[in-house]
Amino acid sequence: MKPDSALVRLRDVLRGIGVSRLVLAFMLVLALVAGMLVNEHFASWRNFANILEQSAGFAFVSIGQTLAILTGGIDLSVGAVMSACAVFLAAGIDGRDALVWPITVAALALGALIGIVNGLLVTRLRVHPLIVTLGTAAIIEGLILLYTLKPTGSVPIWFEDFAWARPAGIPVAAMVMAAIFAAVALFLAFTGLGRSIYAVGDNSEAASLRGIPVNQVLVFVYGASGFFAALAGVYFVSRTGVGDPRIGVPFTLASITPVIIGGTVLSGGKGGVIGTLFGVLLLALIGNVLNHMNVPTSIQWVVQGLIILAAVSFHARGARK
Amino acid sequence: MSTQSENRPPGRKETGSLGSAISAATRRIRSEVGLAAFLGMLMLVATLIQPRFIDPANLRDILTQAAPLLIVTMGQAFVILVRGLDLSVASLMATVAVLATAFNAQSDIMIVPIFAAAIAFSATVGLINGLLVTKRRVSPFLATLAMMILLQGLRFSYTQGAPAGTLPPGFRWLGTGDFAGVPVNLMAAALLAVVLWIALHKGVFGRRVFIVGGNPRAAELVGIKADRTIVACYVICSVMAGIGGLFLVGYVGTVDNWVGRGYELDSIVAAVMGGVVLSGGRGSIAGALLGALILVTIFNIIIIVGLPVQGQFVVKGAVIIGAAAIYANLANRNSSTP
Repeated sequence: MKPDSALVRLRDVLRGIGVSRLVLAFMLVLALVAGMLVNEHFASWRNFANILEQSAGFAFVSIGQTLAILTGGIDLSVGAVMSACAVFLAAGIDGRDALVWPITVAALALGALIGIVNGLLVTRLRVHPLIVTLGTAAIIEGLILLYTLKPTGSVPIWFEDFAWARPAGIPVAAMVMAAIFAAVALFLAFTGLGRSIYAVGDNSEAASLRGIPVNQVLVFVYGASGFFAALAGVYFVSRTGVGDPRIGVPFTLASITPVIIGGTVLSGGKGGVIGTLFGVLLLALIGNVLNHMNVPTSIQWVVQGLIILAAVSFHARGARK
Repeated sequence: MSTQSENRPPGRKETGSLGSAISAATRRIRSEVGLAAFLGMLMLVATLIQPRFIDPANLRDILTQAAPLLIVTMGQAFVILVRGLDLSVASLMATVAVLATAFNAQSDIMIVPIFAAAIAFSATVGLINGLLVTKRRVSPFLATLAMMILLQGLRFSYTQGAPAGTLPPGFRWLGTGDFAGVPVNLMAAALLAVVLWIALHKGVFGRRVFIVGGNPRAAELVGIKADRTIVACYVICSVMAGIGGLFLVGYVGTVDNWVGRGYELDSIVAAVMGGVVLSGGRGSIAGALLGALILVTIFNIIIIVGLPVQGQFVVKGAVIIGAAAIYANLANRNSSTP
């Protein structure tokens, strides 16, 4: 391994983001052109607002997943955390106005807490995060399903503004999404903790030799991942009005796709959340275009699989030696 | 993720490999005895709580239920041994089941071509997985995840919701029947176990699997074509998943688009519990079998002592973390990356 001066690593990071951005931009343009050719309603602000609202929850889970993958780990408990927090939130509020804010804060804290437990298990037991989060996911899912098998609880109608309101035509969800992505991107680029996430992912032993508290960084990252998964759970309660114990199931593996398409490598240390944002938008756009074309879900799955493979085998060439 | 073994200088490999082979062998035997003892203890405790557990009928249930998982887990073990992971096994099981209904066969003689087609299809899937991992250098997680989604899409496009064809009646016998007092699917699992045990522990191929999994660079240095070995492991895994899928369909009795759902994770959990280490290079067929048996036994105990089915998830999660933690601490003497 080369002596990793900060400059060399910075150049690597920039190069990695540069290449993947080009590919992503190309695919985004392609999807936009295809959409406009397919349907005249595609290129309307209303359709784009719809796409943004549909992808916000997906975007929130994927931010947390990006952080976990940047450290060279993975978080397979995000779906379970989403479900748990959604059920906790809806059942806890149960239509009562006064409880909305305290329970929302508690739900986000619950997500972060589960994430912190993941982080502690990863660092204390020295077990691969894949196994740890798989295990905690199973435990959480079992507990939720012991509590309820069907969607439960309710929220006041104004709570649904998070997912549906459009002041001045701009969806609240899109604003929150933009703010969070900007904040996390700046955090990763300009804070010591943010940069140490890359250092841990790049080479955790070297990071620890340079005095970075690797274990604390990991606990923080899994805590953040749990928090963002909880936010996604809150968002879906706002969208659907109930706490569905299975809402998160498809997101566990799905949250990995935009991260990888966005140029973050599974082995860690390279990538970032802006790539993930574009990955989320690309997938949402493609889904929207295929829906406008009346393509059945099954074919959309085939397309999704092929996109992952295309994106990944492209990145892989640049990423490994 | 780089592990320490990759960074080890490859110079004095020959002397090291004999010594480490011996210590690996003793460690393997010890861990398998430990696993068997754990299984025995589990059964004893279950019997004390609920005497019905030890009924021959219940034990037979456990074994017929375990057979498909035993088959899939052995395949999964091969992939994990070469530092991989196969998330596509469950999707492949369901796809093979749908493929079997496509024959719309009424007579049992069709079981032979159905198996042949399923094996050929599975082998192709495994080949693609393997080539993606080796030639395109896609991480196993993503390659098999994409394959999982692809197969799912193909399957649903074909069935348009619900599979329509029928299976030959003999499938039910394969999945639940007895031959000479022994469950047929268990005999099949045992036969496959013998074949795979010979392949992994008694021949050149198996030795290559361990060397490639233990240290891919050293494998290249001693002239082993690591890529070929890895591809072969993916093919073995997929073929086992295909066969396991057919036996599972026989056991369940009906085909739907989700036959085998959960087997991707269960097979990984079982293999890891059986001492097949996720970072590759360590594990055994006997361990994989014991891991799968322990998992199915735990599921059975949850049902038979009257706990709600959802409790299975909780126990499964706790067991996988616990087992992995125990193995990690056993192995921690020579590796330190979490």
